[in-house]
Amino acid sequence: MIFLLPVIGLAAGLLLGAETLSPAEMLALITDPATPMSHLILQWRVPRVLAAGCVGALLALGGAIFQGVFRNPLAEPYLLGSAGGAAVGATVALLVVLPVPAALALPLLAFLGAWGATWLVLAMARLTGRASIAALLLAGVAVAAVLAALRSFLMLALSDETVSLQAVLSWALGGVQTPSWPELALLAALTVAAVALGQSLSRGLDLLGLGEGVAESFGLPVRRFVALAVLAAAFIVAVSTVWGGLVGFVGLMAPHIARWRHGPLHRGLMPRAAAIGAGLVMLCDGLARAVLPPAEIPLGLVTALIGGPFFLLVLAREVRRG
Amino acid sequence: MAEVVLEGRGLHFTAGGSPLVHGVSTALARGAVLGIIGPNGAGKSTLVKLLIGQLSPASGGVTLMGRPLPDWPRRERAALIGHLPQHFEPHWDYRVDELLRLGLDRAGRNAPGLEALAGHFGLGAILKRHWSTLSGGERARALAAAVLAPDPPVVLADEPAAALDVGQAASLMARLRRLADGGAAVAVVVHDLNLAARWCDRLLLMESGRAVIEADPAEVLQSPELDRVFATRFQRIPLPDGGMVLAPGESTG
Repeated sequence: MIFLLPVIGLAAGLLLGAETLSPAEMLALITDPATPMSHLILQWRVPRVLAAGCVGALLALGGAIFQGVFRNPLAEPYLLGSAGGAAVGATVALLVVLPVPAALALPLLAFLGAWGATWLVLAMARLTGRASIAALLLAGVAVAAVLAALRSFLMLALSDETVSLQAVLSWALGGVQTPSWPELALLAALTVAAVALGQSLSRGLDLLGLGEGVAESFGLPVRRFVALAVLAAAFIVAVSTVWGGLVGFVGLMAPHIARWRHGPLHRGLMPRAAAIGAGLVMLCDGLARAVLPPAEIPLGLVTALIGGPFFLLVLAREVRRG
Repeated sequence: MAEVVLEGRGLHFTAGGSPLVHGVSTALARGAVLGIIGPNGAGKSTLVKLLIGQLSPASGGVTLMGRPLPDWPRRERAALIGHLPQHFEPHWDYRVDELLRLGLDRAGRNAPGLEALAGHFGLGAILKRHWSTLSGGERARALAAAVLAPDPPVVLADEPAAALDVGQAASLMARLRRLADGGAAVAVVVHDLNLAARWCDRLLLMESGRAVIEADPAEVLQSPELDRVFATRFQRIPLPDGGMVLAPGESTG
């Protein structure tokens, strides 16, 4: 059932939009590709929806790794500040003229931002003695607030072209950019690589779930593994942020739902979380395009409307569990 | 003495400026159970962590089968040493079969099957149950099965009976005894001195990070050092079979 979600999300994403189509209309457009509308759908809506699926899968994988590393069901790229870190890195890449090509600077700085912010949150949380749920969340909130302020400052101080400021703003609110087909191929390849990366971390994440002491005695080099897993998650978050901007809560919801349905072992959880994330973001992206046509509402707003209450439910459950 | 499998020599460990283990030497021999006893804060758990390589000593060293412990590849070491921790609460609500599979993963090719392992520990009927639904005794058995899945030749248990009732504690100690009888070298931290005397071949009494005495149980139980270390005047009650039980008497602390 879980693996049907991307198909459902794809269908919803293709049908929804400034002009929402019925399944029959969509079928007619696909079978008659000569019309301007079908050209528009094929060249614009299809790659956009597929890119949204990739972004959702990446966010879910990033969230699943973070939750496994921190053994915290509330950990996710947005709340941990890693997405915010990637956003600051990407903002610098978009607004500052750098001696390297933008195509290289954007992913590189986004990755460095995500990585640095995650370690900062972890270090702050550990100042309290151990990375408890409360310490991690508070540190994440504080770091995310500082990063958001820094990003706003950079946007005000560095943008001298209205266009670039608008681009950064709409991207910061969360929104999937429509890629060209070669760009989509690259994003898809990176998503497949991220699934493989997640799978390769599965056994270590399962052992970490037993506690650091037991994991160590079961043969896991805990410190090295955590460093590696944070690096991998930062890379995945950076890729998702570069393509989808700041999209909150998907990295929280998708691994959670996968864990409810499948159980906590990560080998099965990773692909399921990716499927749920892909389906969810394709659907939300469709809604973002369809709710106020011809305007688009930010994708991050839609996911926050769904994910915020979900987060509160999970938080209440965790607080009750102590 | 039987063949020594794991040996710690002159172990020192300091945390926050205060020595937690101070010059302790001890050895685990094949076929024998070493009981580690002492009051709270004596350094028992720290000693266990040093012996399994979870902590690195400031000085002194640990050898496993004659080879320095840090020189062993991590995976091999994990299959050779089984460690039953003092506290265990998984972060996710694993099922019993999932827990056992994680334990079996490090066993390599000679691993017993999941069903065989579950049967050996009496877990066959609860394989699909989640950790949160298990009783204290079931949890202890599930953890022991996961830790002992690769049939490690060295087993260290840190107060494994702390959360168990009398019957469950005796059952767990009997299981550790059987492991030793099967050829394993076993060390166990125990608070219950009678349990320790009943199931162990030797007892190591610790106080403030130091080894006070290491001898066979009868000698340790009769030693006045025991009364001094625990600040209690023990009553020593002889048993018909020649053994004795201790009852805590008047506090001298």
